This record gives sequence, structure tokens and C-alpha cells, in this order.
Amino acid sequence: MDRRRFLVLSVLGVASLTFVPGLMRTSLAASKLEEDIQKRLGVSLSQIKESADVKLQAPTIAESGANVPVSVESDIPVEKVDSIWIFVDNNPSPWITDVKLTPMNGKVYFATRIKMGQTSNVRAILKLKDGSYLMATKEVKVTVGGCG
Amino acid sequence: MAVGAGILRVPKEAKKGEIVKVQMVITHPMEPGTRKDPQTGQLIPAYHLTKLEVFFNDKTVSVIDMGGGVSANPFIGLTLKVEESGIVKISYEDNKGGKWEKTAEIKVV
Repeated sequence: MDRRRFLVLSVLGVASLTFVPGLMRTSLAASKLEEDIQKRLGVSLSQIKESADVKLQAPTIAESGANVPVSVESDIPVEKVDSIWIFVDNNPSPWITDVKLTPMNGKVYFATRIKMGQTSNVRAILKLKDGSYLMATKEVKVTVGGCG
Repeated sequence: MAVGAGILRVPKEAKKGEIVKVQMVITHPMEPGTRKDPQTGQLIPAYHLTKLEVFFNDKTVSVIDMGGGVSANPFIGLTLKVEESGIVKISYEDNKGGKWEKTAEIKVV
């Protein structure tokens, strides 16, 4: 009897450890970011895979959230790339900008300065011509917000 | 500087086939429309650039869509592959109907 109870408890324990964090993650992240990405790109965030081919440069700690320099670069030939998208997870509106590239650009490069309300992940998403997406993520710590 | 004034910077000369940087800064408040005036508590209406296009000899190089998430007085950097001498033109517009243009020349040497 004791052994059976132990078994049942351990199974429950393992189940809760594996499933509960997953549930929490999806409920938290069914957020503005996911909505925005779904609306603008037509795919869900979970379908976009991280790739080292996308090089996202941003400061680790931003002096001011009102002006965070960000640049995106990639060695993927520009002929294969449709556009570059920039999102900030915790901003009131996560979509920042998107850039359509053409072969006349010569290479995949885009630099700008963005606003950040608080410490958050910055995401650079490359939309390829074959319909797939690649993403790079970087956390930027913000001491003074720039959205309000 | 007045709203909409822009600075477009390209190298004066380039080799044929060279990839050069095209950089621009535009004077614009870029109000996202979500901020409140600290004195009155009223929402400050949105006032930001929505679209910026880059042309080289009237052929489209890039089209940039943006919103209030881009910093005030936005800076944008791109690359351009120069195959011939020509004129780089940027044209940009905001959500209140403002429209501006700016050009710069590149010579192939």
C-alpha cells in the first residue's frame, strides 16, 4: 500500500514539474508580442526558430530607454531575404519597424534607434523569400524607460 | 530644425560594385500616441513617421514601415550596392499627411 501511494505521488510530482511551467509560459506569453507577430507576420512565435545567422547588435545595458541603438546584420545573401522585422517584447506596442530589402541593398544590414519602456528582449526576425523565418533575441536592460 | 528636415549621408565616390552605407537622420518627434502629458493628464496624440522609401536612380532599394516605437529624430542605416553613378533619394511621410524628400549623389570612380 505504501509503495503504491509512493508511486502515484511520484508520478504526479513528475507530471506537475514538466507540465506546469509549460502552462505558465504559454499563458504569460499569449501576450501582445505574440498577437503582434501573428497579426503582422501571419505565423506564431513558436514557429520561428532562433538562428545564429542573424546577428543582432544592441547594448546589454541601455543608458536611456528613449534611444537604444540596434543593428541587424546577416551573411545570408540579400537575394534570399524578403524583410527584417524588429520587436520589443515588453513595449506597449511590440512591433517597432520592418524593412523590405531588395538585391540592390547588396547585403542584409539595417540599423536604427528604438524606444524601450523597460528591460526586455529585443527580437530581430528575418523573413526569407522561401517563407521561413529566422530570429535573433537579445535582452537589453533599461534603467530609465522611454515610453511614458 | 523643423519637423521633417532630414540629413542623408552617402559617400561621394564609390567603386563599381561597392557596398556603401546610406545613413539618414530625420527631425521628427515620433509621438507614439500612448504617452500622457504629465501636467494635464491628457493623451498626447500620435505623431510619427509611418513610411520611408529609399530609391537609387528611381528604382526602389528599401521600404521601411515604422511606428511610434522608433526613437525621436529617427536614425536609419542601410546598405546600397553601387553599380553606376546616380542619385539616392529618400522619401518619407508621417501619420498627419506630411511628406518630404531628400536626395544625395554618388559617383562611380
